[in-house]
Amino acid sequence: MKHADTLVIGSGFAGLMAALVSANQRKKVTLLTCGSGSLSLNSGVIDVLGYDEQHNYVECPKEAIKSLPAEHPYSKIGMETVEKAVNFFLDFTRDYGFPYRGSLDHQLLVPTAVGTMKPTCLAPHCLDGTSLHGEEHIVIVGIKGLKDFYGNILQDNLQQSLNGQTKFPVVEVETPLLGGRDITTIDVARWLDTQEGRDSFASQLRPYVQSDNTVFLVPQVLGTKGQECAAYIHEKLGAEVLETTCLPPSVNGLRLQKMLKQALKDMNVEIVENTKVLRAVSDGKKVTGVVAEASIREKTYYADKFILATGGLYSGGITVREFEHPQEMIFDLPVYIESGEENWSNAELFSAKPQGFAKTGVRTDTSLRPVDANNELVYENVYVVGSNLGGYDFCFEHSGNGVALASAYKAALM
Amino acid sequence: MSDISKKIEEMESALSTADHCLSCTSCMSSCPVMEAEKSYRGPKLVGPAHSRMHFSQDDFEDSLDFCSNCKSCDRACPSGVAVSTLNMLQRAKYYETHEHSQRDDMLAHGERMAKLVRALPFGATFANLGMSIGKSLGVFSAMGIAGERSMPAYASASFMQLFKGIKQPKSDKKVVFFPGCFINDNEPQVGVAFVKVMNANGYEVLVDEKFNCCGSPLVVTGYLDEAHEHADNNVSRILEWKKKGIPVVACCTSCSLMLKQEYHELFNEEKMHEAGENVYDAFEFLEILADKGQLNTNFKQVGEKLMYHVPCHLKSQGFGVPAAKILAQVPGVTVEQADAGCCGMSGNYGFKGDKYEISMKIGEKLFNRIKESASDEVICDCGTCRLQIQHGTQAKTCHPVEILAKAYGK
Repeated sequence: MKHADTLVIGSGFAGLMAALVSANQRKKVTLLTCGSGSLSLNSGVIDVLGYDEQHNYVECPKEAIKSLPAEHPYSKIGMETVEKAVNFFLDFTRDYGFPYRGSLDHQLLVPTAVGTMKPTCLAPHCLDGTSLHGEEHIVIVGIKGLKDFYGNILQDNLQQSLNGQTKFPVVEVETPLLGGRDITTIDVARWLDTQEGRDSFASQLRPYVQSDNTVFLVPQVLGTKGQECAAYIHEKLGAEVLETTCLPPSVNGLRLQKMLKQALKDMNVEIVENTKVLRAVSDGKKVTGVVAEASIREKTYYADKFILATGGLYSGGITVREFEHPQEMIFDLPVYIESGEENWSNAELFSAKPQGFAKTGVRTDTSLRPVDANNELVYENVYVVGSNLGGYDFCFEHSGNGVALASAYKAALM
Repeated sequence: MSDISKKIEEMESALSTADHCLSCTSCMSSCPVMEAEKSYRGPKLVGPAHSRMHFSQDDFEDSLDFCSNCKSCDRACPSGVAVSTLNMLQRAKYYETHEHSQRDDMLAHGERMAKLVRALPFGATFANLGMSIGKSLGVFSAMGIAGERSMPAYASASFMQLFKGIKQPKSDKKVVFFPGCFINDNEPQVGVAFVKVMNANGYEVLVDEKFNCCGSPLVVTGYLDEAHEHADNNVSRILEWKKKGIPVVACCTSCSLMLKQEYHELFNEEKMHEAGENVYDAFEFLEILADKGQLNTNFKQVGEKLMYHVPCHLKSQGFGVPAAKILAQVPGVTVEQADAGCCGMSGNYGFKGDKYEISMKIGEKLFNRIKESASDEVICDCGTCRLQIQHGTQAKTCHPVEILAKAYGK
């Protein structure tokens, strides 16, 4: 009857990582998924902690994590585990041929599509703009027909962000993709997966290479697979080629997703697609199975251990259909929520103050098992990871994938 | 639960799911047709957006014609939007005021054609001869059918004809087999293998002459009213069997998906949901037996290295890949999943002349994966996927149930 040692629910970054680390522990793992997960919607760089509670810029995430409040997931996970999780991820990406760089000691800076420099902790080479200082010959590269990339906005803001002395030129690359629908970053990336695409791209940019410090800044289009496309163009041009974060679909998120799925396949993780988990079957404080919705009928999956990675408010893992009544949709776990409707939101969307609703989520013990308001353990073999966790605002503090990574790693080891 | 929560949770018909779309683009990243064809505007814009914004009668989105109904978008969607079904509903709407081509008429009505053929003495032989002559004379190409492909040949005897000759042990445990057009007319050996497998598990297999084609070829070609008639007929038959406590099982994943789920999504009638509950895909059924400890695992040695292409319409059913697990228990069998996306055939899509190239481009990853592997045979639950694999790779293919029949020594 038992399907797995460990059953992971959800295929966002947290779910995929939890499955990977569990399988790496030689566990038999089943992953239940509903929808393709969040990675096509997120840049695929790993923000650990960009800003503290007062919205001060964090220079060293390792130091700043130590002063987070006790209810913050990192405080529960513990610094040592966060470090191990980061190392695990760096090793994994290197082994699978798309190495990430960075550490907990300082931030990397990733150029965004609107020309700001966003702090992050781990990123692949092609998104790491840390070395940009504004003195380089930066050329902003748009793609003809790609509407979701605004070269002129990028140009103005980046000059400001980097204190550049001169205006960075904007150039446009032609592709054979016009004449159909509006093109997306994925369309361009797929073109750059081909040899003709790469060569055409490189030859169109070659005239703009000046001196030995030219940097081309492009939307997220440098191939759908790992780093080979970026490396090829870099080599061809003898100039740095960097990507910005941009609107979804996120090519880099998809690169990371592809790599994680390949690893799960290599480790014989069973992935069940298109199945929404509805509820749990439990025996006292132990969950024995979960009931999932397949086409027309339900199917029960039994396991020793369950990792909840269905996401928070944005992905329906937690819903708040009525104020004061948040609901975790599978195990009906107690959910922490800011009380008082007036504390729910901050009308100034881009201000330096957090949103009250954003910390909504499940509270856990230091093993990441769910607890109620009196800190009583609810289930002894359920572990909560990623945005299902309460007590942090990933958007405000830039910690989304960092909490996902560290909590997934910890939950898998427990 | 308050009324509003209930309302949100219970929005089940395809049309109401359009309002769940957040325009997140997950479907666009997963759509194989978008990858192959730059004119297709993609599931997000065509399905949910156009369904909601379609206000005037002649406001049609031309690129809707590119959708193959492979349902990759439905599986990618984090919000439960029935994207592909919204596309099919719009396609049907279009054909309310537009003429169908002769080609679409032919591709949608394979069942009608097969009935004609079976009514004639040596009908299958002549029809096959006719098709190869027709092909060499370019008649099909002129009609808009992909001249590069051969039309699937009719088997000399249909499954229903062969079934009459099968001697089964009587049993109280019974299932009704829904062969579907392709197994009935083109690959009856799959149905025969199914009967053997069920017999080996102590089941007697029944058939129901009153079943129609499930309607999948009609739905994807925009003949929705006719599909509705098929649904009404099949649903009333399934409900009869349900009353007797006898489940209906299909070996074709597009048939099982249609009977279980798509009728209800398309036509939103409660009886369709009730009937769907009595329908199983073959390996779904066998896995349920295995979970109860009732699957006969007295397997004989079958030395085969298998590559498994899991059809899109199986993935959409959300019960995982039970055939891979069951066949892995057969001594001497190894099963590797191809995991190379959609094959590109999508029922009658790849037969359309103007879709042939797209279809082959989509299938390229799978073809390469199969060509590079050292497998003895490719297994796949879907008949038209198997045709595409044969066409794209010349590999030997069969339905997983045929391997299982071998394992039972039949």
